[in-house]
Amino acid sequence: MELCDYPAYQLVGMIRRKQVSAVEVLESALKRIGEVDGCPGQLDGNNQIEPDKIHSFITLTPERARSQAQKVDHAIAAGEDPGGLAGVPFTTKDIYCVKDTLTTAGSRILSNFTSPYTATPIERIEAQGGVLLGKVNQDEFAYGSSSESSAFLPTPRNPWNTDCVPGGSSGGSTAAVAVGEGCFSIGTDTAGSIRQPAAFCGVIGVKPTYSRVSRYGLIAFGSSLDCPGPITRNVQDAALVLRIISGADPKDSTAANLSVPNYLSELQTPIRGMRIGLSPDYFKITYLDAQSGEIQQEDIPAIMKDAVYRAAGRLAEMGADIVEDVPMQQTRYGIPAYFVISRVEAASNLHRFDGVKYGYRTRQAVSDVHEMYRKSRAEGFGLQPKLRILMGMYVSAAQYSEQYYLRALRVRTLIRQDFNEIFDPKGKYRLKALLTPTTPTTAFRMGDIYGDSVLMQYADQLTVPANHAGIPGISIPAGFDLQGLPIGVQLLGNDFAESELLRIAYAYEKVTEEDEWRTRKPPILTK
Amino acid sequence: MTEPISPELFSHLVSLAALELSNQESEYLRQQLNNQLKAINELADIPLDPNIPPALHGIQYSPAFRPPIRGDFWQPSELADSILEQAPEVEERFIIVPDIPHQDLE
Amino acid sequence: MTEYEAIIGLETHIQLNTTTKIFCSCRADSWNDLPNTNICPVCTGLPGVLPVLNRAAVEKAILLAAAMHAEVQPISYFDRKNYFYPDLPKGYQISQYNMPVARGGYLELTMPDDTTKKVNIQKLHLEEDAGKTKNDFGRRLIDFNRCGVPLVEMVTAPDLRSADEAAQYLTRLRQLLRWIGISEANMEKGHLRCDANVSIRPIGVDYLNPKTEIKNVNSIVAVRDAIQTEIIRQTREVQLGHKIEAWTLEWDEERNVLRKMRSKETEADYRYFREPDLLQLVIDEQWKTETLKQLPELPLERRSRFIHQYRVPEYDADILTGERSLSEYFEEAVVIYQGDPKRVSNWLMNDVMRLINELGIPAGELKLKPTYLVEIIKMVDDNIINNSIGKTLIEKVQDTGKAPSTIVSEEGLALVSDTRTIEDTCKTVIAQNPQPVSNYQKGKTGLIGWFVGQVMKQMGGKADPQLIRQILEELLKQ
Repeated sequence: MELCDYPAYQLVGMIRRKQVSAVEVLESALKRIGEVDGCPGQLDGNNQIEPDKIHSFITLTPERARSQAQKVDHAIAAGEDPGGLAGVPFTTKDIYCVKDTLTTAGSRILSNFTSPYTATPIERIEAQGGVLLGKVNQDEFAYGSSSESSAFLPTPRNPWNTDCVPGGSSGGSTAAVAVGEGCFSIGTDTAGSIRQPAAFCGVIGVKPTYSRVSRYGLIAFGSSLDCPGPITRNVQDAALVLRIISGADPKDSTAANLSVPNYLSELQTPIRGMRIGLSPDYFKITYLDAQSGEIQQEDIPAIMKDAVYRAAGRLAEMGADIVEDVPMQQTRYGIPAYFVISRVEAASNLHRFDGVKYGYRTRQAVSDVHEMYRKSRAEGFGLQPKLRILMGMYVSAAQYSEQYYLRALRVRTLIRQDFNEIFDPKGKYRLKALLTPTTPTTAFRMGDIYGDSVLMQYADQLTVPANHAGIPGISIPAGFDLQGLPIGVQLLGNDFAESELLRIAYAYEKVTEEDEWRTRKPPILTK
Repeated sequence: MTEPISPELFSHLVSLAALELSNQESEYLRQQLNNQLKAINELADIPLDPNIPPALHGIQYSPAFRPPIRGDFWQPSELADSILEQAPEVEERFIIVPDIPHQDLE
Repeated sequence: MTEYEAIIGLETHIQLNTTTKIFCSCRADSWNDLPNTNICPVCTGLPGVLPVLNRAAVEKAILLAAAMHAEVQPISYFDRKNYFYPDLPKGYQISQYNMPVARGGYLELTMPDDTTKKVNIQKLHLEEDAGKTKNDFGRRLIDFNRCGVPLVEMVTAPDLRSADEAAQYLTRLRQLLRWIGISEANMEKGHLRCDANVSIRPIGVDYLNPKTEIKNVNSIVAVRDAIQTEIIRQTREVQLGHKIEAWTLEWDEERNVLRKMRSKETEADYRYFREPDLLQLVIDEQWKTETLKQLPELPLERRSRFIHQYRVPEYDADILTGERSLSEYFEEAVVIYQGDPKRVSNWLMNDVMRLINELGIPAGELKLKPTYLVEIIKMVDDNIINNSIGKTLIEKVQDTGKAPSTIVSEEGLALVSDTRTIEDTCKTVIAQNPQPVSNYQKGKTGLIGWFVGQVMKQMGGKADPQLIRQILEELLKQ
């Protein structure tokens, strides 16, 4: 085990006790990147090259990292507090602005944008001594579930099988964390973009309650859905990082003005007596058959369902009460409502990319400013943003907004009511968490789904309800399929119940500690 | 069944979006839009009680954790120059763009 | 031939005089600043930024709503108005659409025939200002300094019927804005801007014809000129049998011409939707009450109180309440004086107003405090000084900031009350001017004024002219 494979919570202690230096830890992470990552994504790059590498990054920032690590070491030498993440190497999805650093959101239209400021979650991590290794790849503007829509090629690959996608849109983040390119990464989750790739890559992904973590500096996709959250290799690190990035922010007036629990210390509270539900509505997906135009329902593969039941059984061993047959009937409406809400918000959020004040401006001659807009945007955006913009234009036009947008916002209320009911402490179910599969399938092969925008979205069916409802969700590893690809299970909880979800996740991690599958490593690390 | 997004409507959307597309892109995107619309149209069939209000956010912002409104105090940003550095064309601190079309009336 | 009437509605944009912008902590005022210096990531719409609402902007909107008799809404929302324009960095303006901060209200105008006209307000909403663009030989130069300055947009019903009425509305509005202290309301500086919706219709019908919207009008005179020009143009077009199209026009002040702008996006094309980055704006009773404590008595109320309480003529009351500081100055002086308020009003309107106009400062900033003015009036009343010394004192006090009594004693300006001295001077003047004396005694009694003047001259103005006159008349009889 190399230094870069250690959990963050251990590294902090080792660095503080001067057993290792922050610089040594950093060098270990950089060495790992050198071994497994291959070339970073670049504009007009080639997706075929180095097919056995991970390609997590768009931008590496080793110099910034070295100076940050040295600062930590100096602080320790001087007897000063180096912070709660002292010397811990991490990465961030390229959707976060980092001062004086290229910030692309995976798009050509921002391929030359150097941010003058740093996003709040990243700033908080750096203030606690975190060492930023660089910015990792993602779907363009987070529009996708495979990370393949990035304008920067090659796109990230799944560390467990490099022919497969890492998931998305935070695929660079989860791939990087899975192979030790940093202890953690900060992703964003709008419909499952943290949890789904976490499941695909066998790591932990936390989507906190909406408003728990400031969105300041996160390049917006669906502003009423976007949640920043940590991706880690173990639950304690998730608790550690979540605490640091959470809390009120004067720069985000939608960030909750609520004190943040010490998630890490609360992990130790046993889960005995906690009621955890299973819902049949999370064991099937409903989708629109492209051929027939009919709505189809299909059970998820047995291996995914079994993983959930197996996890429930282990939690029951730890004293949890498992409640079966919890109805979540609105689950299937998550996707159509999401199609509307996220498009309206995304189209508006992308208005600012117009070639006027930053980012890409066309090099073609233009006769007036309107032509400049059209050419810059046509050349700067990939197909996925264009598709979302056009759909947003359509469903938010006044004559359609009643039919689509307002209706979708009301469906959101319905979805929320399902959760209100099961988490109601005086209600019939009184759950502390709902345990579900994170995804209907394990990671798919590269190129398999990309291109069909409808089908790709159904990959989010089990994760998107939490975004509509604003509630927290965590995806944790729960074994492997027969192809050796990770399976993730998801815990959903009530508003601001991150602590409970983390406790359940931690209990599960403990009880499965000795399981064979826990010892597996991505094959790329054993080559 | 006729497609809800006709080529004419599509080109209106493209102009609203300040885009210009190749024929190939247009055809692909229009078809994708029509596909997505089929999925979206499921919304129309969802039984909705008229009392169900729209939710701007999933969570309800109770007064207990709604952030206070900002006080009117000046905080100089000091980032003006680095913001300007990002602009494609700048002259004497003005950002330069091509002209906005207009026409004189006699 | 058909007679037409104009139907005019005004959309005013009022810059609130807060310290900071509406959604970020940059200064709101960047007048005379170099371009793009008063900016930050938020007001330039950098990727990832979020708006944070300024409390003072809401409070000033509450004050304006109350002054306009509009109803402040306990819950309102911000919405995004989406459109592309190079001075709009986010590609959308954060505004309020169907749930604005206040609704209804009116402003009263006094018409030439002394009747009152109510101009109804449809809605009043908070929004952010855009930047500035200027033409530069086929290019546009963009300055974002103004981006995010808080604005209240106030839309009138189509209640105005002439360019003059529109101008009067703006004059009254400007007075009110300054009175309640929420905006400098200087049109030349863009604090108060106006778009005019203009249509015409045959007199007597009640339908509305398509209207044009004139944007970018920067003074009350320009508003009147632009509307007048447009009424004439529309009338001519209609008479030629042409249709009026719903154009957006721009007023070029230098050349006094209207310019057609690119076809305007329709309401539907703005794709308004709730701003997810801001929570609903909740104005509870407590906040409202607390805010309204700052609301002064309004001009029309004060005007009528002055008429009733101080018995000043309507004409005086109009002028005295033309500006808040002047009205407060007047009232303060009246209270100290305790004599006839009309006397204070006369001094104010004749002498103090001249000073105010010359110096271009509000009454409240004069060194001639109300108490000093009253001191002067009282000295005149008590014949310690005469009227003309009183008038010169006003300027001397303003110049030096010294109390009038100090100046009077330092400069020996007090009237000579000793009749012997006056009599001696009168005798001297009579002795020195045998010819006028003889003329007077032959019946040219009108010369008495000339004699008084001569005596005053010799006494340096420090005598009561009435007294001089009496003595002279007595002496000249002999």
